[in-house]
Amino acid sequence: MKLKNASAAFALLGASALVLSGCAAAPEEEPAATSTATATEEPAAETIDFLACAVSDEGSWNDKSFNESTYDGLEAAQSQLGVQIDDAESNTPEEFTPNLEAMVAAGCDITFAVGFGLADPVNLIAEANPGMNFVSIDGYSAHPNLKPLLYNMAESSYLAGYLAASYSTTKVVSTYGGIPIPAVTDFMDGFYYGAMAWGMENDVEVTVVGWDPVAMTGDFMGDFTPNSLISKGIALSHIEAQADVVFPVAGDQFGAVSEAIKETGVEAVMIGVDKDIALTSPEYADLVLTSAEKRMTNAVYDIIAELSAGGEFSGEQYTGTLANGGTGLSPFYEFDAMIDDATKARLAELEAGIIAGEVDPKA
Amino acid sequence: MSESPDRFSQALKEILSGGFTRTVLSIILGFLVGALFMIGSDKAFIESLGYFFSRPGDALGAAFAVVTEGYGSLFRGSIFNGEAETFEKAIRPLTETLRLAAPLILAGLGIGLTFRVGMFNIGGTGQIISGMIWATFVATRLELPFIIHTVVAVIAGVLGAALLGALTGFLKARTGAHEVILTIMFNYIMFNFFNFLLKDPLLLGEEASTGNAKADPAAASAVLPKILGDNYNLHWGFILALAAVFAFWWLMERSTIGFRLRMVGENPDAARSAGVSVERVYILAMGLSAAFVGLAAANQSLASPLGLFPSAHANIGFDAITVALLGGSNAPGILLAGLLFGAFKAGAPSMQVFGVSPEVLGIVQGAIVLFIAAPPLIRMLFRLPPPQTTSVLSDIRQKLMRRGGAK
Repeated sequence: MKLKNASAAFALLGASALVLSGCAAAPEEEPAATSTATATEEPAAETIDFLACAVSDEGSWNDKSFNESTYDGLEAAQSQLGVQIDDAESNTPEEFTPNLEAMVAAGCDITFAVGFGLADPVNLIAEANPGMNFVSIDGYSAHPNLKPLLYNMAESSYLAGYLAASYSTTKVVSTYGGIPIPAVTDFMDGFYYGAMAWGMENDVEVTVVGWDPVAMTGDFMGDFTPNSLISKGIALSHIEAQADVVFPVAGDQFGAVSEAIKETGVEAVMIGVDKDIALTSPEYADLVLTSAEKRMTNAVYDIIAELSAGGEFSGEQYTGTLANGGTGLSPFYEFDAMIDDATKARLAELEAGIIAGEVDPKA
Repeated sequence: MSESPDRFSQALKEILSGGFTRTVLSIILGFLVGALFMIGSDKAFIESLGYFFSRPGDALGAAFAVVTEGYGSLFRGSIFNGEAETFEKAIRPLTETLRLAAPLILAGLGIGLTFRVGMFNIGGTGQIISGMIWATFVATRLELPFIIHTVVAVIAGVLGAALLGALTGFLKARTGAHEVILTIMFNYIMFNFFNFLLKDPLLLGEEASTGNAKADPAAASAVLPKILGDNYNLHWGFILALAAVFAFWWLMERSTIGFRLRMVGENPDAARSAGVSVERVYILAMGLSAAFVGLAAANQSLASPLGLFPSAHANIGFDAITVALLGGSNAPGILLAGLLFGAFKAGAPSMQVFGVSPEVLGIVQGAIVLFIAAPPLIRMLFRLPPPQTTSVLSDIRQKLMRRGGAK
């Protein structure tokens, strides 16, 4: 199911294979015979005494989406800064609090709580441990030792929506979410208004299926289960409704949407979320128009870099925007030739407008 | 009665009459299986295997290190953390074990009760959800004074679960439908029904909800009070579990109801001849079983500081099957088995921090019960003498031959 856990079984197989070839000579220098599983693989940087930790939202670190983005930041800090890292994956919401408590017990210098679902638990933990520092990604903070890390995803999603409407031949585009929380609907709002903006500029009627930002109603899976049947069902219903650009905002749903597209045989594409999906999941590259990136990896790395260098912890909110590069659209890759220069120029204009505050991505 | 339930309850009987030695051996074997998985996934071990024959000490050292560290972190996460700064923090893991063991013990008693009657209740999940619905409704939607609110909510949880259990028993008694099928289907129905209720703020959802499936936390007057002050999460659910263990013991070993239940478990035909209404016992057994599960539901509903998610059943209904099997379906055994698996739950995060997938614990748990439930396997492994009673296999063979011959 999950790579990390499956690795145990595969490693067992691999181990037995290695026994057969176990006649190689021992390495010259004495390897640490008592080294443990946490021992790092000779980091490039000198190891420093700083422990950075993270607890995942539902789903694993290998979700090709926001859990993975955070973990990438941690791993980058490990290899480049030489900090130690500890992590815990949460399979259900019941595990949020125990996992955070385990990080407290491990004495982490900073703990990242990934996802809106961990916002309440990490606020309780931060209150109970005033001497320790925490970061709530997509959450909120009521305590000075807890830093909220938020993203104005409506900004890049607005551009994605504008692009989607211009690319669409049916002029029907669609979006759906995991659960209706602000961290999800923010994407969907931006996408909706971006698509509508293209319609108004070109005097063409554009329909957005799956989300109505005024009535606050739309299509949601009810959880973030990767590539679930529910997810595929929603994607199929959107394609049925003539949508030819689908924007799933629920972590890794790209397998489900691409199955839906291929089964129906229509000329539809999808827009990725959180990471540059065409790059990180090349198997879907021919269906990914672009991605609305939430660049948590950099923010996580920056926070660890500052603190581990002796910087002061600040509970102040960090907001990722188009302006500071915390969010943005991915390159178009294979689709680059299919998007005309006028649209590209207009996207750049809109981006500048959003940064300057002249274009409101939520209206 | 048809042959198959007989055969089934015969097998159950043998599993439950395991005895102390076999249980201890099974637990040791379970931990050994877990150790193999830890060693097999350890990087240092695999690397040193490459030159195993020129310096085997490295591989053995790495294997030893990962196992001692892995189970060491389980111990630190579930019983006593010697690395903590203060004694108060050092014993916190033990209180967590007790807290997480409580619902396992409660639900384990419920499942164990049906085993004693020769039935198989795998509807723990559905029953716990049914109990949570009732308990959460009382705890978040009613206004009652302190203590009374908690008591009413606990009773509601028990009733909610017991009614679903009794309904299952009724359907079995009336229609002959198998309780295994019935309970599995009720699991599905209850899980999705719960999800539906949690999504709507007018039903069980958060008052300020945007459609996210989650309930408000229990009102302050309804929560199970903490036992050791605010620094520990341990609450009265554990006391409730201890009381339930005693109640279960009295019910099963001392009361006339328990005698009737056991009689049906031993031999339904004989019980019927002796004037026991077997159908009524089915309903009673499922209802009582679910009532214990309902206590676990109250424990879940009234102690969650954040409110319930759809997954609040925390798989307790299924874990309880392993608790009941390991505990031999008797009160002290279930108490101990619940504590062991509670320790697994408490220790899982600290193992994960150490770098061992906590799934290893699930494997250990499954392996222990597998060894318990496969007596011939253990007998072969340790060359134990066959038990005094006839083995299941020969019993089945005998029955088959008899049927073939007589008809």
